[in-house]
Amino acid sequence: MITSLTNAPAGPHAKELAQRAANRRNAKVGRTVMVKVQRCDGPGKASRWETFKVTTERGMNVISALQQIAGNPVTTDGKKTTPVVWNSGCLEEVCGACTMVINGKVRQSCSCLLDDYAPNEGDTITLEPMSKFPIIRDLWVDRERLFHNLRRVKAWVPIDGTYNLGPGPREHPKDQEIRYKMSECMSCGCCLEACPQFNLEADESKWDTSFIGAHAINQARLFNMHATGKELAMERLDALMGPGGVSDCGNAQNCVKVCPKSIPLTESIAAMGRAVTLASFTKFFRS
Amino acid sequence: MTQTDSKTGFLDRNYFLLRRLHSLTGIMPIGVFLISHLLTNASIVWGRFDSREAAYGHAGAAVFQKEVNFIHSLPFLLLIEIFGLWLPIAFHAALGVVYAMSGKPNNQRYAYQDNWRYTLQRISGYVGIAFIFYHLATLRWGWTFLIPGGTQWSAEFAGSTLAQVMQGGPDGVTFKGLVVALFYFVGVSLLVFHFANGLWTSAITWGLTISAKAQKRWGVACLGVGASLMALAWAAIFGFMVLDVKSAKDAEAKILKGPLPVLEKAADAGGSSDLARTAK
Ligand code: HEM
Ligand code: SF4
Ligand code: SF4
Ligand code: FES
Repeated sequence: MITSLTNAPAGPHAKELAQRAANRRNAKVGRTVMVKVQRCDGPGKASRWETFKVTTERGMNVISALQQIAGNPVTTDGKKTTPVVWNSGCLEEVCGACTMVINGKVRQSCSCLLDDYAPNEGDTITLEPMSKFPIIRDLWVDRERLFHNLRRVKAWVPIDGTYNLGPGPREHPKDQEIRYKMSECMSCGCCLEACPQFNLEADESKWDTSFIGAHAINQARLFNMHATGKELAMERLDALMGPGGVSDCGNAQNCVKVCPKSIPLTESIAAMGRAVTLASFTKFFRS
Repeated sequence: MTQTDSKTGFLDRNYFLLRRLHSLTGIMPIGVFLISHLLTNASIVWGRFDSREAAYGHAGAAVFQKEVNFIHSLPFLLLIEIFGLWLPIAFHAALGVVYAMSGKPNNQRYAYQDNWRYTLQRISGYVGIAFIFYHLATLRWGWTFLIPGGTQWSAEFAGSTLAQVMQGGPDGVTFKGLVVALFYFVGVSLLVFHFANGLWTSAITWGLTISAKAQKRWGVACLGVGASLMALAWAAIFGFMVLDVKSAKDAEAKILKGPLPVLEKAADAGGSSDLARTAK
């Protein structure tokens, strides 16, 4: 039923990538770059801007710039302040923890080179926390709703039990290939930050009925294609047919352009659109 | 399920059905009507090339009048209008506003073409409501105080009265008429965009186009549909802006008197093969 997956260009625009590569070639080590940070002292507190001077080193990324700032947290106005708080884990763009909004667009900060974004002496690079999740402090946000939404579609293979289930069914290599790309999702939240249909929801009681997001729709497709994961297929489709499900997507297709793993999210959205269409017919004629 | 009678409760309980009905009504009946409506309106232009109607003096006005007469000859017209058009449009528009308000456009930051289509789909919906309401109120429900010049549209003199509505009076184009025409131009153009883009997204909604390639291919097809409808829409507006009210009225009067005298006259005129065909 769900078979298609193309290598159509996803991820950041080719033009943007070319510009960054050109910047990287021209950037000189040891220049001064302004790092403008949106800061917030804690949940519910007001945000403010602070700018810091950073002297670049070879291959410097946003995290190492923040580390340099932490070593001497003085703003460009000479005001002593607290070190900027951020979140990170893998430092190689596979955990998603360091995601933030850089120069207006969402991405991972660990893989973001200063040379790409601020190649000239005195250039400014702007860092903001993601806006679709509650701020914990400064650039660190709480992505709990993202994981909550994965639970809504039961994004796992049901194998836990009290006895050995034996070997699973054979998988077709073609299906594996399609699923591999989808499985690269690192729950970073880029697709949600860029989505006009996914917005900050402070009221947790509304999480079950507000838009589930492209990442969860893609995971539902992934596990519905899995020979054992299929067991929960109808439950996943039920979640996607309910309030905040796949129909909440407005086809702006920003998600697919900002996904750092180039996951074909818009294909997954259409595939699950087809799956719920068929499921609704099945249900109508069966019950 | 617990009983809730709040509005969101109703929307949530019937979430999937309402979403799909919203999509469906956009295509059928509203989209299908839009196509036929634009074809009819453009007859003021393409009708000019129908030599069979040349005997009426103004073939465009004659063809348009006959199209209108055909519509008015349909049985239970008011019921068709209410249940086939007004209610579906009201339903689609009301839900459309609810859905549009659930999003927060972010085009400044993510200035991608697809994202602009997303936002324009919502803007065109809002403007579409205003336009459709004005259009119906002035021409169908007779709120002539909203028309500069106060022309009352008449089904018997369809083209000539419509020309006066859009030109701002019986004596050619006025400034106020231009404003009305401009509103028509913007309103109709946005609605054509809305339909063409909706045709494209509906294929994702229902899961007809899945691969990026299929989505692109269907996008080209929808662009073709949109461009054709846009051409029809603009032709109609242009056609009524330049329509000579007097000769249109003459043609309509001849049709109103019934077909026979006209046909005699056509026969007198020498009866080209075209006119002979009309006589049959
Ligand atoms: C001539 C009148 C109209 C036509 C032909 C039309 C047609 C359509 C179509 C075909 C769709 C696509 C549905 C889908 O993606 O599955 C659509 C979507 C939409 N329409 Fe309309 N429509 C009309 C008027 C309106 C009006 C007056 C509004 C008022 C705001 C509106 C608001 C919307 C919205 C917000 C969507 C997007 C829904 C979503 O993506 O979830 N439409 N329309
Ligand atoms: S395609 Fe859907 S999920 Fe992706 S950004 Fe647009 S509205 Fe959000
Ligand atoms: S789908 Fe892509 S953008 Fe979304 S959470 Fe997964 S990796 Fe991040
Ligand atoms: S720290 Fe893991 S993705 Fe950046």
